[in-house]
Amino acid sequence: MTRPQPPSQPGDAVPRLEHHTLKRYESIWFGIAVVISLFLFVSVIVSFISGTYSAIGGGGGHHITGVTNGRLDPRNIAATPFAKPGLRENADGTLEAFVVAKAFAFDPPVLRVPAGRPVTIHVTSLDVMHGYEVEGTNINASVIPGQVASFTTTFGRPGSHGTICNEYCGTGHHNMLGRVVVEAPTPQAARPAGE
Amino acid sequence: MTTSPLPSPPRGAAVLDTHAARQAPPITDAAALASLKKLTQYYIVTAFLALFVGVMIGPLQALNYGGINVYDLPIIRNLLKSYYQGLSLHGVLNALVFTQFFISGWMLYLPVRDLGARINLKFAWFTYLLMTAGLLMAAVPLLLNHATLLYTFYPPMEGDALFYIGAAIMVGSSLLVVGQVVLTWWNWKKANPGRVTPLVTYMSVATWMMWFVASLGIVIEVVGVLIPWSLGLTPGVDPLLSKTLFWWTGHAIVYFWVLPAYISWYAFIPRHAGGRTVSEPLTRLAFLLFLLNSTPVGLHHQYSDPNISVLWKTLHMFLTFLIAIPSLLTAFSVTASLEDAARARGGRGLFGWVTRLPWGNAIFSAQVLAMISFILGGAGGIVNASSTFAPVVHNTAWIPGHFHITVGTATTLTFMGVALWLIPHLTGKRLPSMKLASAAVWTWFLGMMVFALGMHWQGLYGVTRRAQISATAQDIYRDMPIALPTALTAISGVILLVSAVLYFYVLFRMLLSKRVDDGEVAAPIPYSEAISPAGENLGAASRLVRATEPLLAYWVLALALVLLMYGPVLGRMIANLQLVPGWRLY
Repeated sequence: MTRPQPPSQPGDAVPRLEHHTLKRYESIWFGIAVVISLFLFVSVIVSFISGTYSAIGGGGGHHITGVTNGRLDPRNIAATPFAKPGLRENADGTLEAFVVAKAFAFDPPVLRVPAGRPVTIHVTSLDVMHGYEVEGTNINASVIPGQVASFTTTFGRPGSHGTICNEYCGTGHHNMLGRVVVEAPTPQAARPAGE
Repeated sequence: MTTSPLPSPPRGAAVLDTHAARQAPPITDAAALASLKKLTQYYIVTAFLALFVGVMIGPLQALNYGGINVYDLPIIRNLLKSYYQGLSLHGVLNALVFTQFFISGWMLYLPVRDLGARINLKFAWFTYLLMTAGLLMAAVPLLLNHATLLYTFYPPMEGDALFYIGAAIMVGSSLLVVGQVVLTWWNWKKANPGRVTPLVTYMSVATWMMWFVASLGIVIEVVGVLIPWSLGLTPGVDPLLSKTLFWWTGHAIVYFWVLPAYISWYAFIPRHAGGRTVSEPLTRLAFLLFLLNSTPVGLHHQYSDPNISVLWKTLHMFLTFLIAIPSLLTAFSVTASLEDAARARGGRGLFGWVTRLPWGNAIFSAQVLAMISFILGGAGGIVNASSTFAPVVHNTAWIPGHFHITVGTATTLTFMGVALWLIPHLTGKRLPSMKLASAAVWTWFLGMMVFALGMHWQGLYGVTRRAQISATAQDIYRDMPIALPTALTAISGVILLVSAVLYFYVLFRMLLSKRVDDGEVAAPIPYSEAISPAGENLGAASRLVRATEPLLAYWVLALALVLLMYGPVLGRMIANLQLVPGWRLY
């Protein structure tokens, strides 16, 4: 049963594959494989440059009080802006949002941001790993206790997006949901922090 | 498609040809051979017992992603405290235990037989017992809901120390197999100077060497960080450091799962189909590339993590794309060997030859369906590896959709097919029904395709992975247009349950039947002929064969490459260590 059945031999008319031809095809295929891989890499670099993707890098939020090298002590957030989560407008007119994740909710549960303006969002966790995924966008950050994830994004159109915790965080994980509401820009687009 | 100017020798004369299929060198010590076979059988059967338990939990999760919550049923409630406990068991048993036990048996047996070597069987049995002891230790907290951490066990979610200790012993035991196989090969090299390492041994040794380099991350994480922490010896953990060490191993482990399947695809599938391995030198090149390049790619699992520089993430992404090359080489070689087989069986036409393959042979069809699944899984993997696509799919249902057609089918279905000849070979027992075995493997393929379609689809709408979404109190998922993909996922759970019942019926009936044959004769190791063999003597071998032979040097190079690609990343984390306390929220 495990031995191959004897192959049919209809007059040996069917030519078998042979070494030299295969070798040529192999070389061509190897070249194609290398070109595909390089093409993929270049494509990604192009979308880095065109800005369709806001990368999450190192040392985020270094200007924030109480945050050094992108780290903070999750037991002591009172000294940081995460003590009052929400959107704030800085003196220079830039927008920053602070979001706190803890089992099993986001704070603020509804983050309101204006459409069409760049917002830098900082997220951290007070207990275990969480995720910050904004449905319908390419915002997807790991929320790690002791670390601040920072990224800048612009919501183009007014609307509402679900916020989903996408990292297992315990029995209530599937109910850890929130919302981002993108509002049409108004003269006083920024609201006070800690709404 | 190709026309050979030379007439191919008739099949019956192949033994006289210089390209003749290899025969395993005889082992004269019958007691040693019997013990080796028994040991291998223990590994394989332990693996399938783990798979059985793990797979039986799977349909509950598929139903969950179909919007049907069965975890409140009293019968389930008595067995599993939560969806998350079930998911932890499913992941650990299928992805970690089944694979590691099967591979430890498979890739110990093959090189030892391939070289006709005598090994220290006492040590080999000790390794098996230690691995099993580790498994049992880790199983206790898992079953008691004291380690409901999922198979990634990211701190600071904390489990019982026994879980981490058991896991360390289990994974550490696989390194003893690495030592035994590498040493066996090295002794053969010393006894046979100037000889080319036979292909099956080459593939096995390269894979074990890769696994050693890959496993260091998880070994350091568990032994150096998680065990002391769970015993209360350290004030806390740095979750980012642990996660980075985890993915040092965590991506390369998928090659540890799939390369043992490649061994069968390259060396044995052609024989099952009546064809030949395409090129031994090219096969060696593919495995060498995997040895060098499998590990320094792990940061592509961490694009969404803060405090890792984009430069390092991008370098790892580049290396991840490069690792597609040996897989693309494999796709070429294996397909060519199938075409060769089909033409030998009278197949014609550009694609018409496909119909001449032995699709009714479950050993063959399981593995070829596994390959088809892997083509789709590989394509999806390239999406995951690209840092600009990753945020759309990261940690969504897309990801389990992806790895059920890679490890869940490419690896698992291959091993299911291999077991159908390997168990008769080891035991002299017979496969009770090829029809039932065929039904099992085809339904597995179908079920996984439907599952993957449903899960990839849901993931694109943002449905998260690893969540009991059927019990969500809010309406976020109900507002998504996912009625069709959720239905597909639920249906796939039922198909896969049928498949698993069929497969395990065949497997257990075979195992419980009487020994009727001499396995060496009735089901020999299905070595294939090669169209382009590597040759036996290094002196007369091609440049590629000579260049790929010094595996020890490449092993050192692989380790150096990993240290280069991980050293600076880990160094910065250690310099900025941020310890946090543990939590049990399950």
